[in-house]
Amino acid sequence: MTTIIETKKKVRLEIDGKTVLAPEGATILEAARAVGVRIPTLCYHEALSPIGSCRVCVVEVEGVDRPATACNTQALDGMRVATRSERLFNLRREVIRMILAHHPLNCSPCPKNGDCELQDIAYEYDLAPNDFGSYSIKTEEYPWKEFSTPILDYHPRRCVLCGRCVKVCKEIRGLGAITMAGPGALASIQPALADPESPSRCVSCGECMRVCPVNAIEERMGGGKGKPWETEKTATTCAYCGVGCSLELNVVNGKVVGVTTDDATGVNKGRLCSKGRFGYAFIHSGERLSKPLIRNEKGELEETTWTKALTRVAREFRRSIAEHGPDSIAGLSSARCTNEENYLFQRFIRQAIGSNNVDHCARL
Amino acid sequence: MAKVILGSWRDDVTDNRGLKKSAIPEAFKGLKEFESGNDILAFMGWDGFFLFDRDAPVVDMARAYVEKAQEESCGYCTPCRVGTKVVAEKLAALADGHGRREDIDAIRSMAAVIRDASMCELGHTSMTALLKMMELAPEAFEEAVAGRAPVKRGNYRAMATAPCIEACPAHLDIPEYVDAIRSGNYYESLAIIGRKNPLAGVCGRVCVRPCEFVCRREELDEAISIKHLKRFVNDQIVSYVSARSKPLEEIPSASGKKAAIIGAGPCGLTAAFYLKRKGHEVHIFEDLREPGGMSAVGIPDYRLPRDVISSEVRRISEIGVKFHYGKRLGRDLSLSQLETEYDSVLISVGAHGSKSVGMEGEDANSEGYVAGVTFLRDLNLLHHIGEFKPPEGTRVVVVGGGNVAMDCARSAVRLGYSKVSVVYRRTQKEMPADHEEIEGAMEEGVEFLFLTHPVRIDAEAGKVKGITCVKMDLGEPDASGRRRPVEVKGSDFFIECDIVIPAIGQSSDFSFLSDGSGIETTKWGTIAVDDNTMMTGRDRVFAGGDCVSGPAALIDAMGHGLRVAHCMDQRMRGEKMSMPEAERMFRLLKTMSLPQAPVNRLGNKARCRLEMRPARERTSDFVEIERGLKPDEAIREAERCLRCYRIALFATEE
Ligand SMILES: Cc1cc2nc3c(=O)[nH]c(=O)nc-3n(C[C@H](O)[C@H](O)[C@H](O)COP(=O)(O)OP(=O)(O)OC[C@H]3O[C@@H](n4cnc5c(N)ncnc54)[C@H](O)[C@@H]3O)c2cc1C
Ligand code: SF4
Ligand code: SF4
Ligand code: SF4
Ligand code: SF4
Ligand code: FES
Repeated sequence: MTTIIETKKKVRLEIDGKTVLAPEGATILEAARAVGVRIPTLCYHEALSPIGSCRVCVVEVEGVDRPATACNTQALDGMRVATRSERLFNLRREVIRMILAHHPLNCSPCPKNGDCELQDIAYEYDLAPNDFGSYSIKTEEYPWKEFSTPILDYHPRRCVLCGRCVKVCKEIRGLGAITMAGPGALASIQPALADPESPSRCVSCGECMRVCPVNAIEERMGGGKGKPWETEKTATTCAYCGVGCSLELNVVNGKVVGVTTDDATGVNKGRLCSKGRFGYAFIHSGERLSKPLIRNEKGELEETTWTKALTRVAREFRRSIAEHGPDSIAGLSSARCTNEENYLFQRFIRQAIGSNNVDHCARL
Repeated sequence: MAKVILGSWRDDVTDNRGLKKSAIPEAFKGLKEFESGNDILAFMGWDGFFLFDRDAPVVDMARAYVEKAQEESCGYCTPCRVGTKVVAEKLAALADGHGRREDIDAIRSMAAVIRDASMCELGHTSMTALLKMMELAPEAFEEAVAGRAPVKRGNYRAMATAPCIEACPAHLDIPEYVDAIRSGNYYESLAIIGRKNPLAGVCGRVCVRPCEFVCRREELDEAISIKHLKRFVNDQIVSYVSARSKPLEEIPSASGKKAAIIGAGPCGLTAAFYLKRKGHEVHIFEDLREPGGMSAVGIPDYRLPRDVISSEVRRISEIGVKFHYGKRLGRDLSLSQLETEYDSVLISVGAHGSKSVGMEGEDANSEGYVAGVTFLRDLNLLHHIGEFKPPEGTRVVVVGGGNVAMDCARSAVRLGYSKVSVVYRRTQKEMPADHEEIEGAMEEGVEFLFLTHPVRIDAEAGKVKGITCVKMDLGEPDASGRRRPVEVKGSDFFIECDIVIPAIGQSSDFSFLSDGSGIETTKWGTIAVDDNTMMTGRDRVFAGGDCVSGPAALIDAMGHGLRVAHCMDQRMRGEKMSMPEAERMFRLLKTMSLPQAPVNRLGNKARCRLEMRPARERTSDFVEIERGLKPDEAIREAERCLRCYRIALFATEE
């Protein structure tokens, strides 16, 4: 048995008068959360390394004039941190106000309405549209531009430029297909190209959309989505491959309108690939087979029962083996099966049929 | 001299409007005009502002300043991205005469948020001067509201700078290229470097990096590894591009003008690159059979492999610069001939002669006495093709304490001499060589004799037998602040050796200059040029690099190349010649030498260390010693940069 030895040194600091023992290297935000002190955040996301772009998480550290951002400032021994003061409240409120000066506050038709981190924090800081009349800036119109993939639409005016999408693509997808580029108030998220002529590196996984706190990245898979409160979420397992990612089918009026995930659940911890996230259109497809079919003498497909269908398959296999030998049969299994299922399948082809002609679609 | 009427820097206020007085700068010596005939009326900077003229357009100047801040904002953090936009719009409204009183309060409160909550130094500093002006000259803003008419407009020269950018002779936009690395955009990063420096792989290995010595991160923990990051991004892209082996496109010579460049060293290469980019036909004439100047034939391969130089030069020739090797000015070509065939000529011949130490017996040219630059040149030209014949013997003494001396000593170790010693007349502390070079030499077994000065070469039958030295003591400091070494009487001693390599300095060979050419040389043995245009006394003939500055560093020569290309371009197009505006501003900032603000931030993250080949392994060959940063190390290093951007603005009469 192995014993886990706690080698990390601890630092002792004070947050809002509470003493905290935090592991060396922890941020002020992590230390604060450990003792139940809540610091508001917007760009911060648990699955990602700190970004530090929104500046909502400012705190005061004794001895330093300028407020520090809790999400990306390391907690040091002997630090004394204050997370609440009139100055901090005002700074946070002003910063959110600035974000809202750019973001169209058109919440009622927005599908994120009710599940939006910007809306939540604006509410917490008591900001309503008429609160920033004097700040509103002439927002420049962004020309519509192709995002990194045709499967997603990016809306620069809605974007709060938190930078989560850029981080997730680099840190979790491992690609860095998108980047943030200025100048100034015209900054937006754009495809990051290795050189001007190279194609986008995006694999259309939609991770960027998943972490977006607002509705700035949307899938272009057809409209008619419901609001969060009319959406029923059914937890299930992705049927596309043997990894078995957990996902939630978003169902409105009996129809699947999208796929979301829960950051804490399953082997995938919220992550999905493009098939799991966007490949749900087949569910309601008219061409989808829901009953077994057998071709009759006239060459037409006819509905039948599983027993009849499987009996027919077994009979034809036997006939083929008898007339042409077992090598006349080959097996091709699917990537949607688990390893165990694939194992059983090749055992079946080798032992029950007696053929070595067996392969898997992922090799094609 | 610009006299301050009202100003403040780091909260130190100077008010000469007859109200109160303070001790700090009442006037800036050497600061008056932006360019000749154009007075400076005011300055706005990162820690305050100065008005030199009673009629300086305060409100409009603030507008121009904040608009520049918005233009330079990278957009990463909210307060600077949105806040500077809001403040700029409000100031524009004030200047246009339709501002309201509430706008003044809104500007003030938003400016404070930008200053306190932004991420990098641009946001931290872009509001300081505005807030101070609103405090010290509130009437200007009040009047703009009350007047309900457009305020007086002014003329401005503004730019974003940073301490590291100011220290770099080519004024590379360091934080920007470092930031592009942080975002993983290597191509973009290299393109940013390429705006000022076509030799990123060379500089990324051997630059003397003046930028790192002023890096503000040093105050928190350690300076950013600016040099290593440059090498990293160059090597990343070079391996990527050469994998695709797609040559760059040739740039057409649209101007119809032709430039001749003498010498394919860093200065000549840089000038050629930018002249070609400006659309001229460019021809380089080089004495040797290969390009690079001292970077190729001075710096040994273990610090800078020659394929790095050749891949950078390939990119320069791919865009259409024509190279003519084996052509020496004064032997194969004459200046007058070039002048008739070309519209302008650049002399960038470097400094390839060796200065004598002043020892007895130096002129005898005994066997075993080899000038440092000659030794290195022959080594660099011939060793890799197996034709180098090292001077015979077993014991080597190198004279000097600079980088050239270190290169000679460490090369000698690699050639297998049994003992290599360096004699230097001061102590290790005063050595001008890079401390990494000194430590590297020590690790490789080079012996150092400090406070030792050679006085005589002892030769027998035309062959060096040894060198006689005296011991020195450090006396009073000299003009450079270093303590002057004085001889200790009667301390002579003899070092037995077969080879003596003097490496105390280089000089240029100007034998190609004829009398009456109009090109003058200085008492330091360099070519005299006009400081503004880099043109010699002869029209259309320019000069730059080591032959103008005296032996300096690569990046100095490249800075010259960049500037001289700017003026040669102007001359060939028949425009008025003048140094680039940014260069003028960098000089004005240097003249003002404003005190730096301390870094008011939290941080403790040491810089990334480079892996080196161990001394035992590296001393038997000339293979590169340092290994580059790995991608994760480079990104971690890039994340340390504080982005010390700051806006400087001069309001001028015209
Ligand atoms: C041993 C050594 C080590 C150095 N190490 C470093 C270092 O680590 N970092 C650093 O930053 N700097 C270093 N330097 C300094 C740096 O190399 C020089 O400052 C820089 O190369 C100067 O560039 P340049 O273009 O002015 O001249 P050079 O590099 O000297 O190039 C001049 C070119 O002109 C050619 N030439 C000369 N005369 C003629 C003629 N009459 N006709 C045609 N062509 C001619 C020469 O062959 C040469 O190729 C070092 C210098 C030496 C000698
Ligand atoms: S869809 Fe995936 S790969 Fe494409 S930009 Fe978004 S995170 Fe990156
Ligand atoms: S698109 Fe979304 S995740 Fe990306 S920066 Fe904008 S708001 Fe943030
Ligand atoms: S320049 Fe600095 S302060 Fe401005 S947006 Fe970028 S990170 Fe923020
Ligand atoms: S921290 Fe970055 S911007 Fe600041 S001086 Fe150093 S390299 Fe330049
Ligand atoms: S949460 Fe810390 S800066 Fe955004």
